[in-house]
Amino acid sequence: MENREQQLQQYMRGTHRLGRLVSVVTLVLLLGAPFLIGAYLGAMPDLGAVARGFVAVGLVWTVSSVVEFLVYTPMLGAGGSYLAFITGNLINMKIPCAINAKDMVGAKSGTTENEIISTLSIATSSLVTILVLALGVALLTPLRPVLQSETLAPAFANVVPALFGAMGYKYYRQNLRLAAVPLVIMSILFIFVPSLTSSTSMMIIPSGAIAIGLAWLEYRRHIKEGRV
Amino acid sequence: MTVLERLSSGPVYLICGGIITFVAVVCVVFLVRAWRMGKAIGMDPQKMKQAVTASATFSVLPSVGILLGVIALSGSLGVPWPWLRLSVIGALHYETQVAAAAAEQVGLAELSGSLMTPQAFATIALLMSLCIMWGMILSTLFNSRYLKRLRGKSADAPEGAKKQGGFGDLAMSAMFVGMVSAYIGSYIGDFVSGAGKLAFAGSWTPLAVAAVSAAVMGLLTWLAEKKNLRWLDSFSIAGSMLVGMLAAVLIGK
Repeated sequence: MENREQQLQQYMRGTHRLGRLVSVVTLVLLLGAPFLIGAYLGAMPDLGAVARGFVAVGLVWTVSSVVEFLVYTPMLGAGGSYLAFITGNLINMKIPCAINAKDMVGAKSGTTENEIISTLSIATSSLVTILVLALGVALLTPLRPVLQSETLAPAFANVVPALFGAMGYKYYRQNLRLAAVPLVIMSILFIFVPSLTSSTSMMIIPSGAIAIGLAWLEYRRHIKEGRV
Repeated sequence: MTVLERLSSGPVYLICGGIITFVAVVCVVFLVRAWRMGKAIGMDPQKMKQAVTASATFSVLPSVGILLGVIALSGSLGVPWPWLRLSVIGALHYETQVAAAAAEQVGLAELSGSLMTPQAFATIALLMSLCIMWGMILSTLFNSRYLKRLRGKSADAPEGAKKQGGFGDLAMSAMFVGMVSAYIGSYIGDFVSGAGKLAFAGSWTPLAVAAVSAAVMGLLTWLAEKKNLRWLDSFSIAGSMLVGMLAAVLIGK
């Protein structure tokens, strides 16, 4: 038992060390690439324009990144979150993918099993995306007319509704009462303030807070009734 | 050679492809470490295999959607840079928005290949990297401490609660319910008020796609649970999405 505990601690220490190292390396590579490509093209970035652009659009994304870090890190565990923040596409792929894998094998949040499953899931998902994009880029010329055809355009414009429809069924059936309240409140908000649809990803925060608040009340009630 | 042609030339492919390869290797290292650790602590290899299979099938369709983002941006930024951005760190909804805002800052009338200059590209590319790096920075600085703190809190929970995953597990599911509700709510709002408040004349396609996808998910879950076709579990999300997306094609006709 002690040996298992030691192994786990060693694994977690290794994951954090590796995660920090590869995050820093990726960061340097991503920030260095524009300079490298610029050198090849014979021009360097205009740092004044970069600063102005950052103030114009970057600050919003900085706030969004802080929220994403606070919300998704506990969902994904250590290994999964290092990988997810490196590979991106969190809301439209990595988070639902990891949650689906976790539920499928019945892993509980915060457990070692969840840490392992989440890492396996995010790593697999990232590799599939890298592979699909690499194949797509290699076959860009023959694929372009198919993927950009008018017939298929509605399908690719609706990947996210298709994803959240399927995931919605899965989660709503588990606890209809918990799901109904945020859904009704969000629907009313979007109906009466239609401009909010352009910032749906930010509306996840109040919607999630309502659902978590209701879950907390339910949890307290179950504890009082001795059902937990 | 135009700037756009140079942006899709060998050296740029080499730079971007090299970074993507590095990230792919990182993913393989994390995958192998997690698999070995899972085996070492006695996790069922079948469960781990199921998680990998389900995640792989789950990711194919959204990845094709992301590929469309690469195609969309390739007309103004060449192929390799959007390929890198959307393989590593980027997000489909983010890239186009930031690229367009960055183009405005460098004085381009629009994000267009014909207007692109070497300096405009380098500036846009740097801004795209800079704006979305915060998740990675926060993760590097605080991941370990943040998770330790949360674990410390869950250690105070009652023993029975800990065995069942405690409130943390319920909170994660609730957060996800909140996320789904925000999106479904936005589709309802878009249909009801998208073309004028309470006009019921907005786009109903996303709502119909979500409904079809949910119905197929219901059918596949029923088959898996009642007809004991457990193997369907690994493909149910991908299958439901596929049918939902097909419904969008039919609606679009």
